[in-house]
Amino acid sequence: MASFTPYTYIQCPCHDSTSQSQSADDAPPTASQDLSESGDDHTFHPRAQRSTFSLYPLEYLLYCDVCHQIRCPRCVTEEIVTIYCPNCLFEVGSSSLKTEGNRCTRSCFQCPICIGPLAVQALESPSEPALLSAENATTPIPAGPWVLTCSYCHWSSSEVGIKFDKPQGIFGQLQKLRYGEEQNKHVVSGDTSPTKHDSAPDTNKARFAALKSFYGSQTVNANPSAGLSGLGDYGLNSPGALTRIMSIYSGNNSNGLKQKNKSTVMREADSINEGFRASDLDESSAISQLRRDGWDGTVTCDQAKTQAEEGAQFADQLWPIPYLLRTKRSKRCPVCRHIISKPESKVTNTRWRIRLVANNSIPSISIKPLNPPPGSGLLKPLQPAQFLLTFKNSLFDDVKVTLATPATTPGRFASRVTVLCPEFQIDANPDNDMYLDDVLKDGDKERQRRRGDEGIHQAEAGKIWERGRNWVSIVVEVVPASLRIEPPPVLLRKEGGPAPDLSPLREDEDILEIPMFVRLEWESEASHDQVGASVSREKDVREKRELAYWCAIGIGRISQE
Amino acid sequence: MASSSTKRQSVLPRGQSGPKAPVNFSSSITIADSVLLTGNHTINISSESVVHPRAKIDSANGRITIGRRCIVHERTSIGVASSNPTPGESRDGVVIYDYATVEAGAVIESGGTVIGEGCLVGVGSRVGRGAQLGKHCVLTPKTVIQPGEAVPDFTVIYSNGTRRLDKRGVIDLKNKAQARQIEVLRKLIPSNPAKFQ
Repeated sequence: MASFTPYTYIQCPCHDSTSQSQSADDAPPTASQDLSESGDDHTFHPRAQRSTFSLYPLEYLLYCDVCHQIRCPRCVTEEIVTIYCPNCLFEVGSSSLKTEGNRCTRSCFQCPICIGPLAVQALESPSEPALLSAENATTPIPAGPWVLTCSYCHWSSSEVGIKFDKPQGIFGQLQKLRYGEEQNKHVVSGDTSPTKHDSAPDTNKARFAALKSFYGSQTVNANPSAGLSGLGDYGLNSPGALTRIMSIYSGNNSNGLKQKNKSTVMREADSINEGFRASDLDESSAISQLRRDGWDGTVTCDQAKTQAEEGAQFADQLWPIPYLLRTKRSKRCPVCRHIISKPESKVTNTRWRIRLVANNSIPSISIKPLNPPPGSGLLKPLQPAQFLLTFKNSLFDDVKVTLATPATTPGRFASRVTVLCPEFQIDANPDNDMYLDDVLKDGDKERQRRRGDEGIHQAEAGKIWERGRNWVSIVVEVVPASLRIEPPPVLLRKEGGPAPDLSPLREDEDILEIPMFVRLEWESEASHDQVGASVSREKDVREKRELAYWCAIGIGRISQE
Repeated sequence: MASSSTKRQSVLPRGQSGPKAPVNFSSSITIADSVLLTGNHTINISSESVVHPRAKIDSANGRITIGRRCIVHERTSIGVASSNPTPGESRDGVVIYDYATVEAGAVIESGGTVIGEGCLVGVGSRVGRGAQLGKHCVLTPKTVIQPGEAVPDFTVIYSNGTRRLDKRGVIDLKNKAQARQIEVLRKLIPSNPAKFQ
């Protein structure tokens, strides 16, 4: 049995806006669940399919300190700060991104076999080892063909017949090798007639350009005034756009009417020059290669997917992969548009300019069993177990916490949950220079407690278990449900209700997960974001704040017996 | 430094744990002072091979033969007893052919194990008893070769046991590089073969 680590997932409030209307129909049809309540009364179901997307560990969450609300990675709006290559850490401008694509155009490549970084190496050693001593600093620069090699899986580009003349500008050399010299002609010629090409376009890019220009000219020829050619260029240099504009300004409607009456027949691309390529149904060469090289000669699914151009079937069709560029992004609050996370724009700097993590604003919850049971650590069904929830306050103000849980957990196996102390106050997080003092004091208290009332300390309803500098622990009692799947007694079955779900235990359904509603209330200094006179007049004006959210607390696995 | 070394004593028992092993060294090898050689079978090390400090070679379970121009890195264990207690049929412990490299922390079990010519046994790898590595194989770090497994020539084993054939054909280049590396290592590692003879 895999070990279980207790967890706390917090639900982002962005969940409300999207799922409330749909929660009824996409929640799993379980017998014990009755979502007839509406509005705010509905309890949160951590196992509902939609909940998966709104529950996050505390570390993932950000906090907007203007709206005073939790923000998750899903609801923030992102903006790109920097685009860079993860290998050479070279910053790429967004304009060159548009022209050259989203891959590094320097000499950064990944191994097509194992995605390790590739290095440029000379294929032949230039000198005899006898001539090379350690002191001989002036090593002659090796000449001759260069290859890309992977130092991990020892793939080398010479395996697929790629060799370079010089060790610089590998990307350009590779493009030339792959697409030939005339690739520029194909790509640039967007609106020239495809018949001008004397050679057939053979790469995907070139074929796309040829097809695009062919169909662009077709729509223009067929219907010069209707410029809504989805296939044509949107720029003004295309003849379609020009005629459209001309027809708008001349007000010559008769042309358009005439065109509408006449149904024009558009020709499909049918020659190689127009970008048409018949599917190659003769696969005998592929089959013979498969016979010759066997399984090892084919590409794996992952390898085919990471290739920059699709269509590789055999290992000798794999090309070095130019590194995909990455971005650094800043995050904004979706409501007030304030930046809540912003990295340094320099690629090599890993610090953040602004980062408002939720950890600094809402208390963390940690879970441990009160009396750790010996053995497997599984919860015994129908036997009460007590757990300690420790709330640690990170704010510099006292926080009043109110907890609420449903009496039984939602889902097929309803365990009973009792929070012994649902209302308590946590002291403020003290300043750091007080830290040592407090640790000493805490230690004293701890020792006293251990010496004194070790035996008689018992969980009591309405009382907190233990209190520290800026933390409070309370006791939660659970009675885990039995995981036996049997039809409910006839007496309890509702007339006309949904049929009981008797399917076998699903994955992780044996985890006892408590939905808990946490409401925080605290007083803090009034925010100074409004430039008002009142702020300057009364400096110590206190503002009442509150924050409430659902969280899912995973306590443990229930043993199946 | 001397005072600190006297203060910090190892918890492990000092000195050799077994009998002093009979050795058969070529005159041109480089073997560090702190190498641990134990066992009662012969340990052969051929010319120009380098054994780094704190390598552990145990011939208790069979003869150990290390070929020419091999490099055995730190904290390697060559000739470890296999976890399988049944005695093997081979009298050889471990045979490492010429130009092989055994990197730091690798473990090679004893019992007819063969490391082929020009092989690279990566960091922290484990080669099981009686496994036969072909020529110029590469085991990337943390690879595990099961006992009795035969690995064909030029195999590269990477990323949790995925295999492919190395088709570079750079044996000469690799051997030259190995020779050059040995030349440098000779200057760096103070050799003391007399200690073991």
